[in-house]
Amino acid sequence: MLRAALLAGAERGINRVLRLDPTALPRLARLSGRIIEIDCTAPAWRLFLLADDEGLRLASSWGAEADCRLRAPATSLLRLALSRDKTAVLHGPDVEIDGDSGLLTSLAEILQDLELDWEYEISRWLGPVGAQLLGSSLRNPLHWLRESADSLRQDLADYLGEEARALVGQAEAQARFDELDDMKLALDRLEARIERLALNLNPDRPE
Amino acid sequence: MTDPRKAHDAEPTTHFGYKHVPESQKAQKVAEVFHSVAAKYDLMNDLMSGGIHRLWKRFTIELSGVRHGNRVLDIAGGTGDLTRQFSRIVGPSGEVVLADINASMLKVGRDKLLDKGVAGNVRFVQADAEKLPFPDNHFDVVTIAFGLRNVTHKEDAIASMLRVLKPGGRLLVLEFSKPTNALFSKAYDAYSFSLLPMMGKLITNDADSYRYLAESIRMHPDQETLKGMMETAGFERVSYHNMTGGIVALHRGIKP
Repeated sequence: MLRAALLAGAERGINRVLRLDPTALPRLARLSGRIIEIDCTAPAWRLFLLADDEGLRLASSWGAEADCRLRAPATSLLRLALSRDKTAVLHGPDVEIDGDSGLLTSLAEILQDLELDWEYEISRWLGPVGAQLLGSSLRNPLHWLRESADSLRQDLADYLGEEARALVGQAEAQARFDELDDMKLALDRLEARIERLALNLNPDRPE
Repeated sequence: MTDPRKAHDAEPTTHFGYKHVPESQKAQKVAEVFHSVAAKYDLMNDLMSGGIHRLWKRFTIELSGVRHGNRVLDIAGGTGDLTRQFSRIVGPSGEVVLADINASMLKVGRDKLLDKGVAGNVRFVQADAEKLPFPDNHFDVVTIAFGLRNVTHKEDAIASMLRVLKPGGRLLVLEFSKPTNALFSKAYDAYSFSLLPMMGKLITNDADSYRYLAESIRMHPDQETLKGMMETAGFERVSYHNMTGGIVALHRGIKP
């Protein structure tokens, strides 16, 4: 019962957020009637998701077979929830998908495309003038913060990779990985060649 | 075999709460109760259960396994809580029938659903659970939430629900039941025989209806008895889940 209460609370919160994006609900309506099962392997728990034009429905069990089942450990699921590029996480090695994977990809795309209209929500409480004033006074500092964070990340990466040489740069690492791949291929070819030669020298030896 | 309910020449009686009334009068008396409380039914449900009735209904929907395109019958659907959720899940290609014997409850339910924009795949039918006016093998899921205890002949109602279900279809009975813990049961008794009628008096100005509610719950078959009744009627794989310490139980059976 406690779990049902938590899920009901989460469902209300998620649907409230989904309503802030004008395109999310019509897109979710296209997935209506389909059942997605999320099976967490470690720790073990299961969650069922059903979409419709009012948002998402969360359930701890569902008396019918799911159309698509996602099996993954909690760490991958958390990454999936937080990551901007959800499709990349879905293709990860510890993620297993059964059934209609297109369904899951569509849901992931809807969630990663979310563009929440916070200003509209604020305007419901403060009115259009208040929302505009608050929005513009918040937008500039937020923009500055986002740009500063991007710039800091780039500078830090450059410093650690190129100047301090504490870390290997991305381009350099990629070149080494390519060399390793080439070397692995060359070794495979050499191994096959040696086997063929050994077979020629001793034709009676069973393959 | 003679029906024990008709063993005597006088009209057989049945219980209405703790009272015994002629069978022909029970439906009328239950109808009076619901005519009286219909307008404030949702408010009272929230107050009496502290909102937990929403979680009980939520679990019922989870266990129903309803899918897109299914046909669902919500008997004693009252103010349409389950119907609204089913309507969302079955979509435009499915159908939900909200049936209630009580015209007042049906009207409140219909108005509430229309106000919430639920239309298109929902039908409203005034019907008696004992004689359901639907063809055989018609529904994928039949639910009766907090309604079975008000039915005069429960066996007939269960048989009728079995008849209208498709083979493989599921019946879900959500109903008050017997608490599993003796101490908890005592607290629950104290609550339902003193606080409930008082709340009923304050909100709906009708303490008697809520006294009937408490009494009818005590007279309703417990978990195992209801399970047995469903099996006798012909349901298979009958199971039940206790909720909130057994105050409420959800029974599920499959039509073979």
